[in-house]
Amino acid sequence: MSLPNQLQDTFSPKELQFMVENEPIKIFPRFTTRQRIRKQRNDLLGTDSHRWKMMTMDDTSLNNMMAMQSTTVTLWIALLLKQQSKCNIIAPEWLTSKALDRALQFEQTNTLRFSPLPWDWLIISEILFKKAPDDFHDRVHELRSKIQDLREIRQLKVAKGIRYMNESHLQLDNLSLLEINELRPFISGIMDKLRDIHLAAVDAGGEDEMMGEEDDNDEMFNGTMRNESSRMS
Amino acid sequence: MGYYDIDDVLTDNAEIPCKFLHDIPGLGYLENNPGGSIHVNSQLKLPLWLARVLAIVEVAPEVDPITGIASEENTPFITLMTPEAFSIKVINAIKTDPVALDIHSINPQFYALAIKWIGLFGDRDLAEIVSELLLKRAQVINSHANSITISYKNDSINHNSKSMNNQTVFTLTLDEFEKKIFKQANESYKDIKKWMFQS
Repeated sequence: MSLPNQLQDTFSPKELQFMVENEPIKIFPRFTTRQRIRKQRNDLLGTDSHRWKMMTMDDTSLNNMMAMQSTTVTLWIALLLKQQSKCNIIAPEWLTSKALDRALQFEQTNTLRFSPLPWDWLIISEILFKKAPDDFHDRVHELRSKIQDLREIRQLKVAKGIRYMNESHLQLDNLSLLEINELRPFISGIMDKLRDIHLAAVDAGGEDEMMGEEDDNDEMFNGTMRNESSRMS
Repeated sequence: MGYYDIDDVLTDNAEIPCKFLHDIPGLGYLENNPGGSIHVNSQLKLPLWLARVLAIVEVAPEVDPITGIASEENTPFITLMTPEAFSIKVINAIKTDPVALDIHSINPQFYALAIKWIGLFGDRDLAEIVSELLLKRAQVINSHANSITISYKNDSINHNSKSMNNQTVFTLTLDEFEKKIFKQANESYKDIKKWMFQS
């Protein structure tokens, strides 16, 4: 492929944003698309005035919206509607001042663990801060600084965690998509080299016992990586 | 690793001290003795690609002209001796402070050479030392790769140039592989910073 290296073996932040925009989010629409209401009103008025209808793959959620009743739609649609001021986005419950404070507390008390934030917390919060800053109940700059604090404290932990890497395994639970992605070129490069060193010693030693063990470890490594990628897609 | 992998070629070019186990006529020019022959036990530095073959290929046993008895079992042309990159001096330096070590001055392809060397002898101890070295240095590389972006962000020229200076001094001590990883990690961190601060 003629893609530059960094696009071949990892995702760019924009690609990640694209993926995350397929996630569901709750909105308050400001208009109604529900068909039943149209019929009733048509009966009352006695006309067949056409209400417009959303073109969509699945008829259910998008064409069943009621003004000011929360509905779940995919994020990119929510952003489109928001852009035309046709809806308000409801911030997810973890993206409030209180919840972030709790997460920060967790990060500070548990120095060896990551708080269980959603896998796309960094991306969702970035998008919402940019596109829908007026839909938060808390002040955006406060939320933003809390997110930044969380990110920094977690980055420190990751830097500490790298010490425990070996040729086959590195486990960092609750790390999110973007955080994994920014580490990927570094971690996979170092791990590949460690495995090369390990294999060189094992192959030359020619001990079958060690080889078997190595295979197991490899599977474990693949397993964790697979988990990550499955969470990604 | 492809045939045209320049790092692989350079690694194979590393000089390994070798000891000759046979008299070899006509090869004297290798030790500034043109026309002469190389004698048993003379030591020479040969590139790894040549030394590896000569150390494996075996010579038919010499037949003593008087007694007519074959002298010993098969021996290769040369034996390999530990190159400077893995001498006790360097190993001790690695053990004392893996991070401060200037690996690039020891060998620009240190890890690649180490892997080849370990592969030749199945040297578990060396493998362990080198992995430990890589792990310790990886942490420093990671933090450097991450911190450079912060100075980009701040945009203050003074601070920037100072830290850039530190960066260049640091990258000079890296082995080629480490440099590649450093660049990749740095790119990755920078991409994400850019994405987060785009307006």
